[in-house]
Order: sequence, then C-alpha cells, then structure tokens
Amino acid sequence: MSLQQPREVGVTADGEVDYDALEALLGDKVVDREEHINAEGFVIRPDEVQAVLTTLKEEAGFDYLSLLTAQEYEDRYESIYHLKKYDDPTQELSVIVPSPRDEPWNESAEPVFRTAEWHEREAYDLVGIDYRGNPDLRRILLPETWQGHPLARDYDQDRPQVVTLREHANPIREDHRHPDEADTMFLNIGPHHPATHGVMHIKTTLDGEEVVDVDPDIGYLHRCEEQMCEHSNYRYQIMPYPDRWDYASAGLLNEWAYARVAEDLADIEVPDYAQVIRTMGGELSRIAAHLLWVGTFALDVTGDFSATFMYAIRDREIVQNILEDLTGQRLMFNYLRLGGVAWDLPEPRDEFFSKIRDYLDDVPYRLDEYHSLMTSNEVFQVRTVDTGVLPTETAKDYGATGPVARASDIDIDLRRDDPYGYYENLDWEVVTEDGCDNYARVLVRLGEIEQSARIIEQCVELLEDWPEGEREIQANVPRTIKPPYDAEIYRGVEGAKGELGIYIRSDGTQQPARFKIRSPAFVNLSALPEMAEGDLIPDLIASLGSLDVILGEVDR
Amino acid sequence: MFPLQSATPLVDAISNLLGWGTNPPVPYEFIAGFLGAFLIANVLLVYSALAGPWAKRKITASFTDRIAVNRVGPFGLLIIVADAVRLLSKELIIPEGADRPAYDLAPLILPFSALLGFAVIPMGSGIHLADPEIGLAYVFAVASIASLGLVMGGYASNNKYSMIGALRAVAMNLAYEIPLVITGASVVIFAGSLRLSEIVAVQAEPLITLGGFTIPAWFAFVNPFAFALFMAANLAEIGRNPFDIPEAPNEIVAGYQTEYGSVYFVLFYLGEFLHIFLGGAIIATIFLGGPAGPILPGFIWFTIKIWSVFLFTQWMRSAVPRLRPDQFLEVGWKGMLVLAFANLILTAVIVGVIA
Repeated sequence: MSLQQPREVGVTADGEVDYDALEALLGDKVVDREEHINAEGFVIRPDEVQAVLTTLKEEAGFDYLSLLTAQEYEDRYESIYHLKKYDDPTQELSVIVPSPRDEPWNESAEPVFRTAEWHEREAYDLVGIDYRGNPDLRRILLPETWQGHPLARDYDQDRPQVVTLREHANPIREDHRHPDEADTMFLNIGPHHPATHGVMHIKTTLDGEEVVDVDPDIGYLHRCEEQMCEHSNYRYQIMPYPDRWDYASAGLLNEWAYARVAEDLADIEVPDYAQVIRTMGGELSRIAAHLLWVGTFALDVTGDFSATFMYAIRDREIVQNILEDLTGQRLMFNYLRLGGVAWDLPEPRDEFFSKIRDYLDDVPYRLDEYHSLMTSNEVFQVRTVDTGVLPTETAKDYGATGPVARASDIDIDLRRDDPYGYYENLDWEVVTEDGCDNYARVLVRLGEIEQSARIIEQCVELLEDWPEGEREIQANVPRTIKPPYDAEIYRGVEGAKGELGIYIRSDGTQQPARFKIRSPAFVNLSALPEMAEGDLIPDLIASLGSLDVILGEVDR
Repeated sequence: MFPLQSATPLVDAISNLLGWGTNPPVPYEFIAGFLGAFLIANVLLVYSALAGPWAKRKITASFTDRIAVNRVGPFGLLIIVADAVRLLSKELIIPEGADRPAYDLAPLILPFSALLGFAVIPMGSGIHLADPEIGLAYVFAVASIASLGLVMGGYASNNKYSMIGALRAVAMNLAYEIPLVITGASVVIFAGSLRLSEIVAVQAEPLITLGGFTIPAWFAFVNPFAFALFMAANLAEIGRNPFDIPEAPNEIVAGYQTEYGSVYFVLFYLGEFLHIFLGGAIIATIFLGGPAGPILPGFIWFTIKIWSVFLFTQWMRSAVPRLRPDQFLEVGWKGMLVLAFANLILTAVIVGVIA
C-alpha cells in the first residue's frame, strides 16, 4: 500500500475536507452528523472510538488530536475529539461521542493518540466520564481525594472537600518499587523546587542519577478558569481571564485566542487597523515570553548566577515597557476587545514608534549575544545536544505544538497555516529544526524572536503610514452578544507555547454553556516522561525547562 | 626537647617581638604560635566576610548587568554587618531524623580543613606560620578533608537531595583530586622540593629578560599548560561552574547543604569561600611566584593574586554552563587525568634532560 494514497481520502480537489467521503470511509460507524462552526462532527457510538479514530488517523491523515472536550447535557454526556492534520491544520473534524447520563463512559482514545491520556484524565476529573482502556485514569488537576466531578450538572458545590491526611493514602511511595528490582530511589521534585518554574510536582524514580520513571503531578494552580468563563458574559467579562493563563508576558496572545473564537462565533469583523495593532502587540508578547524562557532555560543549564538570565530579563524589560505604553499594563494587559482593541496607539505616536524601532535595531546584536553565551558555547552544547529527545512521530502522537513541535521538525504554525490577524500579508518565516532535542528548542525560540522582530517591524511601518481617517480600532459590536442556541466552535491561535485553542458551546444566553481551553503547555508537558526517562536528573531539569511550561496555563 | 620539624617564620617573629627570643620554651612557643594562627585565621575571615556578602554580589552583578548592594553604607559595604546579624539570628532548624553528631560536625570540617591549609602558605611580608618539608603534600591533604565534611553533611541530613549531592561530591573528588595532585607534582619536579618556601624561592629566578623587563620564572610562565590544567582542576576542587555539580541548585536544590540553615549554613558558606581562597593561595604559591611582585609589599601581592583567582571563579560561574555528572567524570578520568600524567612525564623528561 502506498503511503501517499491514503492521505487523499476525504480531501477535495481544492484542499478542503470532504466530509461525505469521510462518512463513506467510516461506513455505518457514523450514527449522525453535526455541524460545528469550525468543522463538521461525526457522532459515533462510545465503543467504537478506537476503531473510528484509527481509521481517520491511518487512512484519512487526521494525525493530530488537538483537544478533547467533555461536557454534560441534560440528557447525556458528550466527548468531542477535535481532530486536525499536522500538514494542514485547517482540515478539521470533530468526533462526537455521546454516552448515557446514568453511566457515562466511552472507549479511550489513548491507544490511537498518546495525547488522549491526559485529556481524558482531565475530562474524567472534571466532568466524570469513564474512559475505559485509558492506562492511567486518575484525577489530574484536583487532588486524588476530591469528591465528585465539579463540571458535572449534579455536582454539589457545598459538599466539604477537606480530607485529612490520615484518610489520605501516604503520598510518599516506597523507594523500592519492587523488592526484587535493582535499588531505585523515589524523589519528589517539587512542588517547591528551584527548577519547576512554578508550583509543580514531578514524582521521579531514580536509579542512581538515571531517571527511570517520571510522573508529573499538576493542578496546584488550578483556578477553575473554564468555569469562571462559563459564568461570565462574552462581551466584557471573559477577556481579562486569558491574561491569567500564560502570565509570563504572553497575555496578548491568550486574549487573542478568546477574541478569535468569540469573534468567529458572533460573526464580528475586525478592522484591519486593529488587526495590525493586535499582530504587533501579540508578537511583542511572544518576544517577551520567549526571552523569559531563554533566561530561565539558561538558569536550568548554567546555574543560578548565570549572566544569560539577567541579560534576557534586561531585554524583556524593554519589551515590557513598550507593552506597558501600548496597553497600560505590564502583566495583565486586558487590551483586546471583541471586534478590536481597547484604545489606539499611545500619543505621541512618533515617540512610541521610535521606542519600538530602537529595540528592533538592537535585536540582532542581542541575539548574537545569546548565541555566543548559549548555542555556541561548547559546554552548553554537550549539555543540550541529544538530551530530552522528542522524535517527530512521538511529538505528533503527544499532540505537541508550538516551538516544541517545530524543534521536532514538525512544520506547523497556525499563524501561517490557519491565518488570522494580519499575518497573511506580512513577510516572515516559520522556524523549524530537525534536532528534536533541547538544543533544537533553543535554536527555534531564538529564531522566533528574530522572526517576531521582523513582523513587528513591518507592522510599525504599516501603522506609521496608516491614513489618519481610517484608524478604526473597534468594529461595531452589539452591547450584548447572544450567539445562536447550540452553536459550537473550536478555534486556536499560535500562542507563545503552541496552539492555544478554545472550544465554546453557546446556549443562546450571554454566557457560554461550555468553555474549554486547549492549553499548549498542558499538552506539551504530557510528553515529559517520554523525553526524560533514561536521561539523568540534570537532563530531566533541562527537558522540563525546554518545554516552556507556565503552570498557570497548564492548570488553568 | 625535640626541635620542630619545620621552620616557623611568623611564630619566631612574634616570639622575638614579645622579647622571648628565637626558639623559646614550649609554652611560650605555643602562645606565639597561637597568636600567629589567630592572625592568619582573622585575615582569612576578613577576606571571606568581604567576599561572601559583598564582593561576590558586586562581582556577579557586574557580570550580569546589575548593581547589587548599594544601600547600606558606602558601596553597600555595611551589608556585611547587616548580613552577619541576619544570618546569625536565624533559627537553627535541624531536620527530623538527622544523624546528630555527624550533622553538627560537618559544617565545622569544611572551613577548618581550609584554614588548616593556610598554616603552611607563605603569604609574604613574613606571614608564614609553618614551613614543613612536606608543605605541598600537606596542603593537598588537608584540603581534601573537606570532602569528608560534604559527605557527612549530605549523609546526615536525612534528605535525598543532600544524599545525591554528597554522592556527587565523592564522585567528583575522586575524579579531580588525582589530576590536581599530579599537576602539582610536576611543579615539585621543577622546584625539587615540596617545601613551599623553596618552591617560591625557585620562582624568583629570572626566566628571560625582555627589553629591560625581567620576567621571573613563575611556573605559570614556565609551564602554562600545567597552570591551565591546575586552574581547571581547581574549579572542580572548589565546586564552581562548570563543575558546581555537588550543589547544582537547579537540579538538586542545594546538594549536600540543602538542610542546613542559620549558623550551620554560614559555616558551610564560609568554608566554601575559604576553599576558594585556599585554591587561590595554592595557585599563587606554586604557579604565580607566591607573594613576589614589584614595588608593593609581598602580602599585598599575595592578596591580589588570590583575589584574582576568586574573580576568575565568579566569572566562570556567570558565564559557563554546568556539566552533567557523567560528563564531568568523563572530563576528569579520560581528559584531565591523562593530560596530568602526560604533563608530569613530559616535565620529568625535560627536567631530567636539562639537569
């Protein structure tokens, strides 16, 4: 069987998804079809998940499980597997799995997509669906002693959740996993550890210095962001929350994720001028986020007196000042609005532009400095080359996106592949590396800083010459937004860490009935055991650093 | 009355000053020796006090584009006092299950092993407590006692990070001590003596005269390769980048000293700085002509030299990434050890041919 031929199944001549052909491919496994705004959905039976996903993956080329959304309706539970293709992320398909209310279950997708494991654990944890066949169906965000599933309809919010340590299983496992096995040591890395970049706990089993087992334990920073958004109105109240997901300067990119999905849902056109400002602001955010990563990664590899860290913070400070001028804020920008941005560029504009240009002029020199401190340093090279290896196919299996995917030679970038904002009209490149290791991830992020600078420069040029009369920062948006009943949409943007997507289901009111966040850091982090097992402790730390996880986004 | 095995220049000087004459009776000699040791220990404590809370911050800050302490006193110097009060007034927390005598002794071993080493270092201007024939061997021997302190501390803390740190320290000591000593031995072949005063004296000979300037025969000039090798091994001895593996704060929290706080931490910290200075003193003595130098008094030159080595360690710390333990062992056993032996044999051959 040729490898090329199956890819053509389900694709029309002009590169669109041919849903009828796909339905024919799946035959009577498709019980029903639904229309979502971003893609069509096939309704299937809960015991045919693996068969359907395998067929779609192997014969129709849907090799990217981007998100699993679980939710409870009045009469049923539902899991939606959002499928995409790494080659063309605009080809989307939702696989909808309803299951009965009295016994919510469906077959696990984990044997087909590794990334499903964590998604299903989260769905089990918060919604309460039993994914049969998932190898590790434990709670993931909430403590293992939690009672009930908080996003389920009959969840009793008043139920006391305090479980004393006595009733709780001893969290410290035995050092020796098996009495007859070679001596291993169980080590808790975190929740308070200098290298976890936030509150995160990695249960590690060591054989000497070698890492034999890694089990990331997350959820310490879970703030019910999804539920908070479900209790807020589209128009005004949700926008500040995305700033609090990836709070390491990527705020504008997060806001854009919500802006994009809500604008598509409510059919709002954004004026070009506002799109250019968004593009510029978003890329500034990306630079700031990547610079913070450069600094902290240097900390992980060099130690806590690294000059690279302070250099990166110094450069990030300049970007932060520009963002402060633009948005009035340094951390929680809250600058984007549905249909545009909150206000126009700061006056005097010349001063603002020259500030940006001064920074951009410096970028090549600064990047040289990082390259000489990091990538061309031989000690740095022996530390990072061939450590934390995430091969291309494994990365796809884990649903990796963003710089992590691009360093594993996966050429995906939603800014180019699923264009939004003003990116289409600008001249820039997607940076990929084929090293698949920690070193490649450094190269990709440094390269992306350079590309972001290019984008910003073009935006500044556009904004400078923008006709005075057409500086429209905000489209005409109704005061209350009520999308039609049962409209469903999933949209992603290229956040600093990868595909930051949001799924919204409306119920005809001003508030979303289901608001699901696809956190790129959450998904990328699930690949950590794959990268770290078999390496030594220092490589585990470096690999964790190289994933660029922000726990606010992982735990939401 | 047995004569002491070694010359004791500083003790004699103090004894003369007090009017007891050279070679006074034992109780007087003991008092004079105690005063000499007290003087040297205090000089080093002053260095460490300067280095730890102040100079280190200032140096690292300059490397990393910051300002560092500048609020308390001129140039922030009084931060030394403030930090001393702060550190000493902290609560001493001893972890449950700590192996008590060992846990308490470990912080003492580290600084005192370094202080012992200074007993035989000629610091110039007559400050030289003892000058035994086996001076260099003695310095290396007492400096290695520090490893015992690290292992005791790491083992007794009842903490897995400490344990890993201690094990790393052992592995590292085995790997670097041998190249260090072997490289030191190549100097001994040149000098023909282990006595430190003689090693210094040999280096005072002129090596070459260039346009009126006489370059002395410092072993750093005679054998720059050995000097470079020794500098590298010394970074491992004092545990600084790229070899700060036993501490590795981002990996194993703080290694062997994870569970130490308050005064015990101060002692560990003090010990680390004393070891940096001892490393600098050894380098100054066997490679940089000891206290020799033009115009300024010998003690000042000696101070400049050991502070230069300190500066070098801080520079490395800011600029160079840390190696992984397995990579370090590879560097130590496959690289430095081979180079050290090559250097030793080459030196022996050259000296044998010339002499």
